[in-house]
Amino acid sequence: MAKVKSAEFQKASARAVRDEGIQHALTHVMDHFTEARAEAIATDYSDESWEAMRTRAAAIKAHTIGSLDYYLDLADKSVRRNGGHVHFADDAAAATQIVIDIAKRHGVKRAIKSKSMVSEEMGLNDALERAGIEPVETDLGEYIIQLAGETPFHIIAPAMHKTRGEVSDLFHDWLKSAPTSDIARLCSIAREALREKFETAEMGITGANFVVAETGTVVIVTNEGNGRMTTSTPRVHVAICGMEKLLPAIEDLALFLRLLPRSATGQRATSYTSFISGPRAASDEDGPEEFHLIFVDNGRLNLLKDEVLREALSCIRCGACLNHCPVYRKVGGHAYGWVYSGPIGAVVTGPMTGMKQAADLPYASTLCGACRDVCPVKIDLPKLLLHLRHRHAEGSPRDERTGTWMERLYMRRWHDAVKTRGALERSTRLGRLLQKPLVRRGKLRSLPLPLVSGWTKDRDFPALAPKPFRQIWREGLGEGGDAG
Amino acid sequence: MPAEEHPNKAAFLQRVREALGRSEPLLHMPDHPTLKAALPRQEEKVRTVRARVEVSRARNIKRLVETATAASWYVHGPVAAEDAADVVAEIATGLRARRVVRSSEDIFRRVNVDGALRRNGISATVLASGRSRGRSTLKGLAFEADLGITGVTYAIAETGTCVVTPRKGVARITSLAPPAYVALVEADQVLGSMDDYFALTRLAHQKSRGRVPTYVNFISGPSRTADIEQTLTIGVHGPGVVHMVLIE
Repeated sequence: MAKVKSAEFQKASARAVRDEGIQHALTHVMDHFTEARAEAIATDYSDESWEAMRTRAAAIKAHTIGSLDYYLDLADKSVRRNGGHVHFADDAAAATQIVIDIAKRHGVKRAIKSKSMVSEEMGLNDALERAGIEPVETDLGEYIIQLAGETPFHIIAPAMHKTRGEVSDLFHDWLKSAPTSDIARLCSIAREALREKFETAEMGITGANFVVAETGTVVIVTNEGNGRMTTSTPRVHVAICGMEKLLPAIEDLALFLRLLPRSATGQRATSYTSFISGPRAASDEDGPEEFHLIFVDNGRLNLLKDEVLREALSCIRCGACLNHCPVYRKVGGHAYGWVYSGPIGAVVTGPMTGMKQAADLPYASTLCGACRDVCPVKIDLPKLLLHLRHRHAEGSPRDERTGTWMERLYMRRWHDAVKTRGALERSTRLGRLLQKPLVRRGKLRSLPLPLVSGWTKDRDFPALAPKPFRQIWREGLGEGGDAG
Repeated sequence: MPAEEHPNKAAFLQRVREALGRSEPLLHMPDHPTLKAALPRQEEKVRTVRARVEVSRARNIKRLVETATAASWYVHGPVAAEDAADVVAEIATGLRARRVVRSSEDIFRRVNVDGALRRNGISATVLASGRSRGRSTLKGLAFEADLGITGVTYAIAETGTCVVTPRKGVARITSLAPPAYVALVEADQVLGSMDDYFALTRLAHQKSRGRVPTYVNFISGPSRTADIEQTLTIGVHGPGVVHMVLIE
């Protein structure tokens, strides 16, 4: 599995905030996305309003996830009826082994890849290389970060942090191309370099945007055409997807194909949407002779088990929550430390990879709610983030306790201090007494207690009022003019 | 003969089930309207779709021209069938195409593309087995061609889309590998929305007892990317120039 560096979130985000290149890219690129989306959802598409579409999509996904075992079974049967093979992988290692076994059986030396976030989870490229198979990313952005040896910066724009100059340098180093600042020229350099790979690769690896259970159809949404190449020219096609990617029926697609491109890139439709239902038929002119679909769990069960977090499995990976998140827009994708970033990354990374190392991520949010407002399937991301914070503080039978003993001690004391009116009155009386030597003009300059002293490092803490409101009330509000 | 069930399937599904708080599989198909509609119901739905498509044809074509143009197709016509071949030849000469590949479909009997191209000194190669060649020569020809031409199974007005269904006579790479592409669209192939298309697809699936085309492509404009500095660039791996010829 790809290494999880989420424990370094604070350090990594501080680094990103100081990185001029990243700040420049974030400032300039994010508005492209948000403006294109706003424009796209303002245009007409059908009789259904955007809000009605989101509501319907959320219901369909919730229904599908709620009967996921049924739909996985149905999809398995449909794909096999179409002549394909279906695999069920519990974790990244199992999925990787399945891919390598297929490759070995076909004597594959080179595999071309269309974008797949699950393969990023698996760290598939490294594993293929170790097995002596050359993996070639064919999405331009993925190709660039593969050459740079990095992970995606953004779900749908993996290389958005790279300038044309950096891309030109990479191509110069790896492909011996002449340096250029012309973006069209850079694209054609990549086109030429990848053409040869398309012609010769024996295996194509893709993700799946949707899998239709009823018909056993894998749907891939792309703009460049690399997804079509990857599913057309090699002898074997392997599609890898998270187990939650299902839709029940083929007619559900229209709705999701309206929501996804508009939310992701602000397009009415992407250039290509490919529907793959098994390997080529004997009478087909071309196409892979063998088709495999791998359903991957890799920690998704931990989301499914939690009735609140389950909602995160509705995600269709459009990236809109990243684009609208004030935290992502400042720290970028790498700070989150794993494959998924932004609000959705802050939700899924911990449950999928282990809460302890990702304990900071649920706090990487201002809870402003922009993510929830733009999510095409109405995932209530702030609610999920709060839920994770709650689990973090309380501990949960499902994951190891992540709060410190001292935090828990404070919380218990706090609970004792405020749980009844009598307790509250007693504790505020005591508090007023204890704070006396520390109060300056109604504020506490520092809280001399371990752990909470950090709070007053850069700001003052409001002191308890000298007289509680209840006492003022008893003494009579009217007397002495105003209540203060 | 379908492939065998994966050995981990039963255990995998059981874990999913238990995570959902159940220990047994569902006894019935879950209640989902688009999954439940039986054949007679779907037939009725498709009759409505066909009637609507028929009635709204002129409006749909007008809308298709708008959406396709917005998606950077060059749209021609609608033209009469006898003039369509000349339009294609004009496109080919305008592109200075020398090597042209095309599919083998009925539309080429109604529209004599080969003849019109020949008059302009261009010969079109048909990318289909029977006519030639093994898989590598097919690939090689497509990769070297300047222009690919195919018919479509449908066009969708909502999204400016040509639905291309690779099958016998229609190779996947004819509409993909050459740097330019021409789609021939007949008026009665124009649907209003994606809903129309999927309703028809589902009926075909039900009627053929679960068979679906192995591969379908929605083509909605030229190949494009914005992966470098969010700057839109046309023609990465697929055709950068796409023409839609509408035929009455």
